[in-house]
Amino acid sequence: MRRKSALLAALMTVPLALTACGGGSSNSSGAAGGAASGQVSYWLWDANQAPAYQQCATDFHAKNPAITVKITQKGWDDYWSAITTGMVSGTAPDVFTDHLSKYTDFFTKHQILPLDDLIKKDKVDTSIYQPGLADLWVGSDGHRYGLPKDWDTVAIFYNKKLTDTAGLTADQLNTMAWNPSDGGTYEKALAHLTVDKNGKRGDEPGFDKNNVKTYGLWLDGSGSGFGQTQWSMYALSDGWTATNKNPWGSHYNYDSPKFQETIKWWKSLIDKGYMPSLKNSTGLDGLTQLAAGKAAMVTNGDWNTGATFANKSATFVPAVAPTPVGPSGKRASLFNGLADSIYAGTKHKEAAWEWVKYLASPACQSVVGDKGVVFPAVPAASDAAAKAFAAKGADVTAFTVQVKDKTTVLPWITAHAADIDAIMKPALDAVMGGQADVSSLTKANNEVNALFSGG
Amino acid sequence: MAHTATDRALHVGGKTATGKAGRRRSVRGGWHETGVAGLFLLPALLGFVVFFLYPTLRGIYLSFTEYDLLTSPHWIGTKNFVKLWHDPLFWNALRVTFEYVVINIGVQTVLALGLAVLIHRITKSTMVRGVILLPYLIANVIVALLWYWMADVNLGVLNQMLGWVGVHPIAFFGDSHWAIPTIALVNVWKFMGYTALLIFAGLQTIPATVYEAAVMDGASEWKIFWRITVPLLRPVLTLVLMITIIGSWQIFDTVAITTKGGPINSTRVLQYYIYDQAFSRYNFGYASAISVVLFLILAGVAFAQMKLLRADESDLA
Amino acid sequence: MTTQVSIADVAAPPAPESSAAHERRQFSWGRLLAWTTLSLFLLITLFPLYWMLRTALSNNRALFSDPTSWLPVHPTLGGFKRVLGISSVEQAQAEGGSGASLHFWLYLRNSMIVSTAITAGQVFFSAMAAYAFARLRWPGRNAVFFLFLTALMVPPIFTMLPNFVLMKNLGLLNTFPGIVLPFFFMTPFAVFFLRQFFLGISRELEEAAILDGAGHIRIFFKIILPLSSAPITTLGLLTFINAWNEYFWPLLVAQNDNVRVLTVALGVFKSQTPQGSPDWAGLMAAALVAAIPIIVLFLAFGRKIVDSIQFSGIK
Repeated sequence: MRRKSALLAALMTVPLALTACGGGSSNSSGAAGGAASGQVSYWLWDANQAPAYQQCATDFHAKNPAITVKITQKGWDDYWSAITTGMVSGTAPDVFTDHLSKYTDFFTKHQILPLDDLIKKDKVDTSIYQPGLADLWVGSDGHRYGLPKDWDTVAIFYNKKLTDTAGLTADQLNTMAWNPSDGGTYEKALAHLTVDKNGKRGDEPGFDKNNVKTYGLWLDGSGSGFGQTQWSMYALSDGWTATNKNPWGSHYNYDSPKFQETIKWWKSLIDKGYMPSLKNSTGLDGLTQLAAGKAAMVTNGDWNTGATFANKSATFVPAVAPTPVGPSGKRASLFNGLADSIYAGTKHKEAAWEWVKYLASPACQSVVGDKGVVFPAVPAASDAAAKAFAAKGADVTAFTVQVKDKTTVLPWITAHAADIDAIMKPALDAVMGGQADVSSLTKANNEVNALFSGG
Repeated sequence: MAHTATDRALHVGGKTATGKAGRRRSVRGGWHETGVAGLFLLPALLGFVVFFLYPTLRGIYLSFTEYDLLTSPHWIGTKNFVKLWHDPLFWNALRVTFEYVVINIGVQTVLALGLAVLIHRITKSTMVRGVILLPYLIANVIVALLWYWMADVNLGVLNQMLGWVGVHPIAFFGDSHWAIPTIALVNVWKFMGYTALLIFAGLQTIPATVYEAAVMDGASEWKIFWRITVPLLRPVLTLVLMITIIGSWQIFDTVAITTKGGPINSTRVLQYYIYDQAFSRYNFGYASAISVVLFLILAGVAFAQMKLLRADESDLA
Repeated sequence: MTTQVSIADVAAPPAPESSAAHERRQFSWGRLLAWTTLSLFLLITLFPLYWMLRTALSNNRALFSDPTSWLPVHPTLGGFKRVLGISSVEQAQAEGGSGASLHFWLYLRNSMIVSTAITAGQVFFSAMAAYAFARLRWPGRNAVFFLFLTALMVPPIFTMLPNFVLMKNLGLLNTFPGIVLPFFFMTPFAVFFLRQFFLGISRELEEAAILDGAGHIRIFFKIILPLSSAPITTLGLLTFINAWNEYFWPLLVAQNDNVRVLTVALGVFKSQTPQGSPDWAGLMAAALVAAIPIIVLFLAFGRKIVDSIQFSGIK
């Protein structure tokens, strides 16, 4: 009894003693405002890119001894809520990797700094990036909120082992075409690559679409309003435009016949058995299924190249083909671009700006490019990245060809992003899940457009 | 005789004891004890006021405002509650959560009761009791991920096993009809052993003599279970049910890790919807309003339970 | 007949002996069925845990080539090595890990600190409060108790954000006190739980002590607490487990490495890759290792709790 109280008392003091030496935040040091110095906190979500940026931080510190950069990587799932809570409490990182779908909310709520004056003052050249990227980061108020960091496109990852067995050559795969009526050579390839449990291919008599062993194409979710890796490459190559103007449109075109015929065709792949149903593909992601042999092809983005190629095994030989050419005569890919933003509540504005400038400069971007994990926004650096990928055994021309041929499409940026997503995701889920007809997307479109007219 | 003994045994709240001594106490009670009571209560009260009461009151206040977390809240009266009333997603969340609670608590209580009785009647092994508690010791995040993988429609081992008995693969998390039951069952797996141990503790208060008498009278195990065990367990079951039901209504972790509200909103439970509105849509005022409703539901459920099950355990009467 | 001793009665109560004898006397189909059912329960409980082990011992890269194999695929200790930080970056990436290391021992230390602090404070202060509710008479007692109970029903998300803002205002973000404080003083469950037990303690001992001139404080420390060692240990264990597995609150308040707890670290580890699957082998290894301290604790105290947890004084 006495021992118990003593034990309890002891237990109580131990953690308190430990906190005295252990805990404590180390958020800011150095003068607030004033000359560019101090510790700048920087957040990013992609662990694959962290070593590259760490290298940049070290190089940057060598050039600017008064500034240290502390990099924190947080996985995507937790990243945005951590940023939000940081903003709420005033402890958000000084600089962080920003995303097109989120920055609108941030600048309308005055949480990130406009960079125009800083750019003008230091005469930063915004034309050194791939065309179109820099303007994506100009808000609806005309101010610039980020400098381009990298870009990405989508392509088709496939299992060369399976395509070889099916007799499809790389040339054939690189020149596929699709159309909404019969799917073109693309659908033919998918049919041929689909194999049921009895070994029958999708284009052979006796094919059992209810008992498929390997699907020609995997379905990675319905894609919601953007379908970046899911359907954007089809709809856009059909000549569809998402909004009345981009960026900052105010009217969506999900009711367009071009869009709906694309989704209708895409859904038909499920009905024919070449693509798994929505419910049967929920769960582990498409690239995992590709490596496991459940699918022959998966459309996805270049940011997954490293991980996919590393999964090479006896049964999985990864390769990439460009997205198929559409009825418009060209192929298409969404051309997304990330940038780094400065938190409005930062206590180290000058130091943060120096870091952002460095991140956006050819010096840092070539370091990132050389590591072969992502395509930096500066063209020379992305060429270096392509080479670095190739050196690791990954041929990424399927991604770069979109940029070369200028078949990229900038993502459509409008207000109300989160609300639009909340409408479009269930709508697309319902269509792809077979619970609603494609025409229901018109009703969803009306709801989306109502956000702009009435709010 | 047995009746009286078990009666006394089962007054979990010791009503009898208090009642008896209370009469003697009250002569000396009153202000003197209040001072000491204050001392004893102080830390807990401090914690309660600062970390429960204040946030709750603030939350109630916020439910009457429009608040995006980054600028000041701005009063809009009952607009959030009106919006809630007309929000199909809110009613969906209510229905989905209710479905979850029914399946989760229904299955969990039955299984836990069965397990507790089994342990009580056929073995006293601590190892068995230890084993059934293991799932409770694993973090929620991991449990959710583990089951997400085991139940994967294509690569999961569960469907592999179903295949052995000729059942077509089931999209446990992908099929909107299966998603909520699956999540409910995952949580049954996690909490079944813990609940069983709580019930088991209650079982141990039933004197063996009661069972022996029944066996000597020739009652079958089944009859013993229904006529003796269950009625005598009522206070314990009430406690267990109350705690598990309240916990169940607040389901969040598993959904956040696995389905994130999908497919097609079939798992968008109340607490997840609240989180979604607060952190992704910056509608903290609206999220607070939904939280207030959730709180009222829980209070109502607890109150109804106490009345319906005639819980003798709290000294409130 | 006295009642108070039963709570601390760790010695085997008479009941087991007679039913053990009862057991030995009968074999019946009923017992077989009962044992089969119990075994089924145990199997269902253990199988996923086995699956965790099997995955932890597998090579990530090969994992998907044979996803439903019941044995570890290309067995390797790589997962555990990555978790414990003794694997090099190349080794890690070769096996499908992300190369980002999990500072396991640091996070383990942090979890221990947080959980111990919470358990010590919560149990002690809740015991005090439970005593005030169970044994002392004062006006408004029932009303306040009911108020405490209603705190059980407040959705955690309601209290999280104001508490977060409070911690920020107090300058306690990214500190141990910041994580510990909301749980340090009480939880409604702890008060409720202990009050039930205290209500069952016989008054005779107390009254004897009062006649001897002891004040309530002495009674609390010298009589009530010792008699309640079993429920208090139980509560302590439950509190520790809950504190150990706490995820969202530490995620919110304690981001920095030096205060990050194990569950948050596991979450971070899980979402290392933005899309695509996590380092499964490493993750499962991490989960297993994270559960070990609790299992050890349980093994140490388990017997005492599981054997002697009683709900009230008996007979």
